[in-house]
Amino acid sequence: MSAWQAFLRKHWMQRSWPAGKAFAWLVSLFGLAFAAQIFWLAGDQRQVLESSARLLNSTVPSTLEQFRLARNIEQLRLDGERVFSGRTPVARQQALFIVSLLSSHPAMLADRRTAALASEVETFLVQAAREGMSEQRYAEWDTLSNRLSLLADDFSIEGANLATDDLQLMATIMLHSQFKLALVLALVAVFLGGFLFLIHRHLIRPLQKMDKALNELRSGSALTPFSRASMAEIRAVEGAIGQLRDVMHENQKARQELHVLATTDSLTGMFNRRHFLALAEEEIKRAHRYARPICVGMADLDHFKDINDRYGHAVGDRVLQSISDLFGHTLRQSDWVSRYGGEEFAFMFTETTIEEAHRLAERLRQRTADNWIDLGDGSGLQMTLSLGLAEASKGSLEAALGRADAALYTAKKQGRNRVVIAGEATATPRKAVHESSDDLDLPVDER
Amino acid sequence: MAKTGIQACCFLLMALAGSVLAESGERVLRVAVLTNSPPMSYTDQTGKPAGFNVGVARALCAEMKVRCELSVIELADVVEAVAAGKFDFSAVSLLATPERQAKVLFSKPYYRSNSIWFAQAGVEPGAETARVAAVAGSAQYRYAKAQGWNVRTVDHHSEFPALLSEGRVNAVLIPMATSLSLRENPSIQPLGLETTVLQAPELSGDVCFSVDPKNPELRDRINAAFDQIKRDGRFDRLNTEYLPFRLQ
Repeated sequence: MSAWQAFLRKHWMQRSWPAGKAFAWLVSLFGLAFAAQIFWLAGDQRQVLESSARLLNSTVPSTLEQFRLARNIEQLRLDGERVFSGRTPVARQQALFIVSLLSSHPAMLADRRTAALASEVETFLVQAAREGMSEQRYAEWDTLSNRLSLLADDFSIEGANLATDDLQLMATIMLHSQFKLALVLALVAVFLGGFLFLIHRHLIRPLQKMDKALNELRSGSALTPFSRASMAEIRAVEGAIGQLRDVMHENQKARQELHVLATTDSLTGMFNRRHFLALAEEEIKRAHRYARPICVGMADLDHFKDINDRYGHAVGDRVLQSISDLFGHTLRQSDWVSRYGGEEFAFMFTETTIEEAHRLAERLRQRTADNWIDLGDGSGLQMTLSLGLAEASKGSLEAALGRADAALYTAKKQGRNRVVIAGEATATPRKAVHESSDDLDLPVDER
Repeated sequence: MAKTGIQACCFLLMALAGSVLAESGERVLRVAVLTNSPPMSYTDQTGKPAGFNVGVARALCAEMKVRCELSVIELADVVEAVAAGKFDFSAVSLLATPERQAKVLFSKPYYRSNSIWFAQAGVEPGAETARVAAVAGSAQYRYAKAQGWNVRTVDHHSEFPALLSEGRVNAVLIPMATSLSLRENPSIQPLGLETTVLQAPELSGDVCFSVDPKNPELRDRINAAFDQIKRDGRFDRLNTEYLPFRLQ
């Protein structure tokens, strides 16, 4: 049984069917079944038509023949009565003549019962006419007359009953065809239901799934995989959607890579200058709009040119990477830093007063000075950092950066490894800042 | 030139209309009837054909929805005239004998008849003393001739009473239906005539109308009309009107 099921699954369930062909097959199957049933019904109709034609062309005429015979029997009785009761001899003779005509009427002779009784009546009446009437004869006539009436009744009733058989047959056929009609309707209902089910199962549901998949694709969420549809056309579209999904994924990845390339510095992974400036411009505008404190800073590694000259560019790069990591660890999540040029870095401290920025910059300077940069061959070196800070709550970004740069220049001039705030002539004492740095917000990765 | 063109067109149209009208006019059927065999066919007080057969013919024409023109004919000429196509059909009760069937088409039987030997007491059919009268062209006439009887030929049923009462014949051989009116004739009632029904196959059987042999389609229509008037009661009504019992 399970082998059979497996066979079915393999050769039937997993197979794809061209929808047009599959539905054409179903429709022709339905058409055949429907036509067969219609023929079945048509047979009944033909029978009814035959029956009614028989009723009209044969039964009704036979019934009328019976009625005519009954009428003649009754006429025979009436004229027999006149043989007894006619007012004149001529009338009685005439009555007897009609009796003899009737009793020899071919139609009367054709029926055995009628022929026998009519002949008996004629003989009796001829005899009565010849031998004279008596009470006893009249009593005998009464009996004969009664028999004639009964026979006439019999023929009338038989005639009326002739139609009964045909009518009963027709009623039976009609009853049968009612059942057959119900069956036809049931067949139509079953096929219609089946069609709707199949259309829903194999067309509508897969289409709904596709719609959902396309929506998912648009919203970018993970695509639920399709279950294999059985209609070939649906499968083709599902395959196309799958390919589209893959292409879109690749495109998105490429776009993300391009974005990274366009916005970051490849050596340090920091924002590049252009991207930093764009972001900072937006941020400054926002701070101005809501009157929030914001600061910018410029930093420069002291004597970096000497490192490059002494150890080579590879070591210079290593130093820059190390400093970049240090910045990442030291700064808060809301602080932005970019490689502004060579060994120069630009900062933006959002929602930060110049005092807080100062503490932060001081800590940065301190950690840079404390940082031991491993060069890989057992040796290492330490660098120092000069920083210039500027309040950016007013004025343009460019101006603020200019002021910070001027402050940096001052820091360099004052001997490097220090933080200078624009507008303040001297660098703040290193020691004090260092001690108070505990009050600052901790960097994200240290929380 | 244009005027003659228009005139030509008008003539053409009129000719077309005329031909269409002529086509649509139903052809009148020529029907042969007798006037001398009451109660089946006779001439009524107004001089028009009347009787059972005439009534049936009119009912058939009404059922077939055709106009019929009744023409009077002698019994002796009926078969030849219909065979020659002088009539479309004859409303004359004819026994469908083989020699007649060879000449004309017959409708389906509309009743069954037999023949009556109507004679003075003691004159039996075929007796030496019998002098029998029969209508020329009738089956009864041919039968009597074939039997070698002493036959007096007459053209009309109306001649019978005189022949009988004057003693020129002592018997007549006539169809069942005709015997009814002869029997009622006052002039022969004192004669005390007796009736014998002859059961010879040549003298009894199915009675039909005869139809133009070249028109079997008309025969079929007449048959269908017979079925219909027998079904819807017109036939039985005519029967009651002209005869004391059902002809069947």
